[in-house]
Amino acid sequence: MPAATDIMTPLWRGVVVLRIITAVFAVGAIIVHHGGFDRPDLGWAALAAIVIWTVLTCLAYSDDRTRCSHVIVADLLVTLALTACSAFVLSPQQLTEVAQRAPLLPTIWACGPVVAAGVHAGRLAGALFGAITAALEIWLRGAFTTDLACDALLLIGTGFVLGMAATAARQATEQLRRAARVEAATAERERLARSIHDSVVQVLARVRSRGGQLDGEAAELARLAGEQEFALRSLFSAQPPGAAGEQDLADAIQLLASPRVEVSIPATPVLLPASDVDELIAVVREALSNTARHGGPGAKSWVLVEDLDTEVMLTVRDNGPGINTEQLVDAASGGRMGVSRSIRGRVADLGGTVTLDTGPGRGTQWEVRLGRVRQGALR
Amino acid sequence: MIRVMVVDDHPIWRAGVARDLGERGFDVVATAVDGAAALRIIPAARPDVVLMDLHFGSGEPAGLSSPSGAETTGRIIDGWPDTRVLVLSASGAHADVLAAVQAGASGYLVKSASVEELVDAVRRTAEGDAVFTPGLAGLVLGEYRRMARQPRSDVPTLTERETEVLRQVATGRTARQIADALVISHRTVENHVQSALRKLQLHNRVELARYAIEHGLAE
Repeated sequence: MPAATDIMTPLWRGVVVLRIITAVFAVGAIIVHHGGFDRPDLGWAALAAIVIWTVLTCLAYSDDRTRCSHVIVADLLVTLALTACSAFVLSPQQLTEVAQRAPLLPTIWACGPVVAAGVHAGRLAGALFGAITAALEIWLRGAFTTDLACDALLLIGTGFVLGMAATAARQATEQLRRAARVEAATAERERLARSIHDSVVQVLARVRSRGGQLDGEAAELARLAGEQEFALRSLFSAQPPGAAGEQDLADAIQLLASPRVEVSIPATPVLLPASDVDELIAVVREALSNTARHGGPGAKSWVLVEDLDTEVMLTVRDNGPGINTEQLVDAASGGRMGVSRSIRGRVADLGGTVTLDTGPGRGTQWEVRLGRVRQGALR
Repeated sequence: MIRVMVVDDHPIWRAGVARDLGERGFDVVATAVDGAAALRIIPAARPDVVLMDLHFGSGEPAGLSSPSGAETTGRIIDGWPDTRVLVLSASGAHADVLAAVQAGASGYLVKSASVEELVDAVRRTAEGDAVFTPGLAGLVLGEYRRMARQPRSDVPTLTERETEVLRQVATGRTARQIADALVISHRTVENHVQSALRKLQLHNRVELARYAIEHGLAE
């Protein structure tokens, strides 16, 4: 909230200054024209009312807590009432005869509520208040002349334009605030990541490596510590998706790292459309879970991401027993959704190619290539 | 006896690694909390291998103006060419690891590596081998691919064989397996890896020198 107040404060200060200047003008106009008034006493009373009301509204508009719709509506009513007083104070000539016409009592001071409504509630409120004020003036004058049309247009226009400006300023502030919030969240995340990385993760890693040399329960504890270490590290290395729906494949792949999965990625981001990244991750997961199911207890996997500019290459290899090619064919012909078919299907849908290199005792290696559509080529 | 210096800002790690290495017959001659401390101690300690963490300044109050891990690595290699630097990092900050390797580190090991892997890596580093984990192979390969995308002609490139060997390392094959698969000797595999690394480090030096000359930093 403080940010929005900050941006509106100068606008309200402008409203207050305008109010004071127009009040001075109104007072001067009454002094100049009071000789021709039907009721000079009422004229002086109106002058006093204008001064007092100016002070009150300026005080109200200067404080964030009292700038509310009630005050602004009250401002409009008081201003309209003072305007209406002109019917009793001014002589009929001053009121209606074009040649000898004097200004209505509040003169341009009447624009106060219009300006305030625009700043407070936007262009429609500003224009509406302007229209009401103008309508009363036209009704009092009893005729619609070019001068009155000018006044009306100025009043409505001022309320409208100021309202637009205020709304735009408010929206800009809101956007700024949202950006600041995202930035603060990112910074906090980095701070947390850093502190957890430097404390918890280090200790977990130490427990893992030391306990890994022991037997029995200690080894089990070490394994658990290791899993948590990887989970924490992955959690904090994940980046939010970048601009234009692109995501860093290398970063996403890194989340799959575990004591049994080693990930090799370039130091620079490998950007692909976010949907492609999701699909490739699903492919890698499938290959990894296949290794976990059939690879035996000692099987390890390696994932390599390479960015060849025109295409992205993804290699998933394990040192398991390998898939028997005949088994693969059996699985496919038997109607079961074999891992091979599923992976091939996914990659084909993306428009990429898969090479499978496997055989008994050789481990399994998937090589996925996905051509990159250059952004420039699309435009 | 291989003389080792451990640079790590985290006390648990520093003590733990020093103990692990001491128990296995290494001479841990010094420990340091950050790069500045390491550069101060190194003339007296004269280690054969520096085990270097890349992030300073969080586990324990370290010098505010300490050079980064990569910068420290560069200065150590410049001042003591016989000393080898092995990067040991828990960090997923790949750019930092790459920078340290470009600055002259002979290898990179993740902190989650087992003690056996660590001991083996320190021993091989002392012998002058490059410790190429799959992760490092992926980083180096990625850096060559990145340079190849640039419209410059003076960047180093990998031979087809070197690319092949790096890809095999990056997907977890051992030097022995690669040698068997490509029908070459174990030593040749090692040479391909070393060559890929050296070209990268040389390019880094040329770039640094060029930058210094262009910005009037050189005498």
